[in-house]
Amino acid sequence: MQEYLSTFIGSIFVENMIFAYFLGMCSYLAVSKNVKTAMGLGIAVAFVLTVTLPVNYLLENHVLKAGALSWLGDQFDSVNLSFLSFIIFIAVIASVVQIIEMILEKFMPALYNSLGIFLPLIAVNCAIMGGSLFMQQKDFANVGIATTYALGSGIGWLLAIIGIAAIREKLQYSDIPKPLKGLGMAFILTALMGFGFMSFSGIKI
Amino acid sequence: MSPKNKLILFNPLSKENPVTVQMLGICSALAVTSKLEPAIVMGISVIAVVALSNVVISLLRNTIPGRIRIIVQLVVVAALVTVVNEVLKAFAYDVSKQLSVFIGLIITNCIVMGRLEAFALGNKPLPAFLDGVGNGLGYALILIVVGFFRELLGSGTLFGFQVIPDKLYEIGYENNGLMILPPMALIVVACIIWIQRSKDKELQEKN
Amino acid sequence: MNKDSNIYTLIYASVMVILVALILAYTSETLRPQQAKNEAIDKMRQILTSINVESTNANAEELYDKLIVDTYLINSQGNKVDGNAFAVELTEELRKPIEERNYPVLVADIEGSLKYVLSLRGAGLWGPLWGFISLDDDKKTIYGASFGHAGETPGLGAEIEKPFFAQAFIGKRIFNQEGTFTSVAIVKPGRTVQGKDYVDGISGGTITGQGVDAMLFSGLEAYKPFLTKE
Repeated sequence: MQEYLSTFIGSIFVENMIFAYFLGMCSYLAVSKNVKTAMGLGIAVAFVLTVTLPVNYLLENHVLKAGALSWLGDQFDSVNLSFLSFIIFIAVIASVVQIIEMILEKFMPALYNSLGIFLPLIAVNCAIMGGSLFMQQKDFANVGIATTYALGSGIGWLLAIIGIAAIREKLQYSDIPKPLKGLGMAFILTALMGFGFMSFSGIKI
Repeated sequence: MSPKNKLILFNPLSKENPVTVQMLGICSALAVTSKLEPAIVMGISVIAVVALSNVVISLLRNTIPGRIRIIVQLVVVAALVTVVNEVLKAFAYDVSKQLSVFIGLIITNCIVMGRLEAFALGNKPLPAFLDGVGNGLGYALILIVVGFFRELLGSGTLFGFQVIPDKLYEIGYENNGLMILPPMALIVVACIIWIQRSKDKELQEKN
Repeated sequence: MNKDSNIYTLIYASVMVILVALILAYTSETLRPQQAKNEAIDKMRQILTSINVESTNANAEELYDKLIVDTYLINSQGNKVDGNAFAVELTEELRKPIEERNYPVLVADIEGSLKYVLSLRGAGLWGPLWGFISLDDDKKTIYGASFGHAGETPGLGAEIEKPFFAQAFIGKRIFNQEGTFTSVAIVKPGRTVQGKDYVDGISGGTITGQGVDAMLFSGLEAYKPFLTKE
């Protein structure tokens, strides 16, 4: 139980996708001009991350890894398909996004209309691919921990984008040097928030 | 080279720089720039992937079925990135260890997908190739500048060799440890944007 | 031909997938021996560092073959068992129940005296840590060490990779005067600790230091039956 909790808290604060690794910055910068749309994108990212990462975890451990196919029989012991992992991961992510898009369109048109424009963007969001790649590197013990990690990272990303959107809304009233307006200031703000989040790095549960 | 092709190749270095102007590919740009060497390898990898995937997609552009367009692009990019990753592991093992997951993240680097969508799908292979090289160079340029300053000020070295003379340390100069921390990459990019946009007023944002 | 028909889309997708899979399989097969060699050389260099021998990518294999005279596995009772000590994945072993684990021991011959290289695994702030510790022929005093990490903070935790950190371990004892196992502690720079040998941690890299401390304790403790055996 403790392992789940520490993975969860750790992935939200300590290893925040935005502030520690700067993953998913493209859409983070493009869609953080107001809180409402930022929230929409954040929720969509968190959701897709939580769905795709466990799927990729299972594929990684039962199909792709060296020796992962041994459940098919002893002769498959030496098969190593890890060179396919990038393609499989991105294919899973793209298809999950596609399926979610279709389901939402059919059953929840209101939500689809508010999220619709972001969904195709999500397939190429670095945070989601990054989640799967970190999963591969960290070698989680079981699928439960991997899911917890995915959920935590998603929530961390959501927090980050809401935070910056809220600040950027207020920023319209500040007197910023002209060349720094917009993108430049967003970078500096993210850096400062990143420094803030670094203070979480001592947390151990 | 025709003037038009020249424009396609060189514009992304300044006026249409993918990182500082088009706002693309920032994700992976920053995590690998605390040292100069990985920044350069990352830059070269991205140039290779953008240029080649641009050519492949441009060659295929009239055959790709509309409904699976994005998936086709992703598969082509993912395949190229896998090849780059395997090649690095075989011939530049030390650097590939440092880059770790960030090579894989080239797949979702918005520059690649952005250029495929915006350029390769509607142009012939040669301009598409130049566009890819240009944008890759623009990205690499930013990476190298950021990597240069972070390694120089943060560790006092370049490519791992000490360049700040010992004398300077004796009179009290210290490496700025802050530069090595990830958020400083953002600040350095912001400074580049600041300089670029004060020179080129057209690029300034209105609100 | 209609580009949007289902059949066209399906055929297109299948042909593409097969082509891509073939290309990737070919590249990966061609490059795999080179990659495996790189990994082995990397590991050899870490082992050589732990016995205070400097090496380059070019001469690592030769030095390793010359200096490492014996390798074997030991089980949790400290008895020798058969197996390839160089290839054993400690991470995999640590997932097994304690009784089934096998730990690698590499024996180096440095100018006539035997050094025992032990392998360690642990976790730092961001990810896995690993290290090799070599002990003198009394199996109690540290002869050398090398550490590695997957992604500790550059400039802070990542400093454990640097020679100055590893070299601080030379000459430290992992058993106290009474012969009880104590490991070597990592302390904040300037602090001290009673009853065992210690090494200064990295300032600003406290969590990584704690990770190394824990890795040393649990890792070396696993070898205790082997080390205390006559």
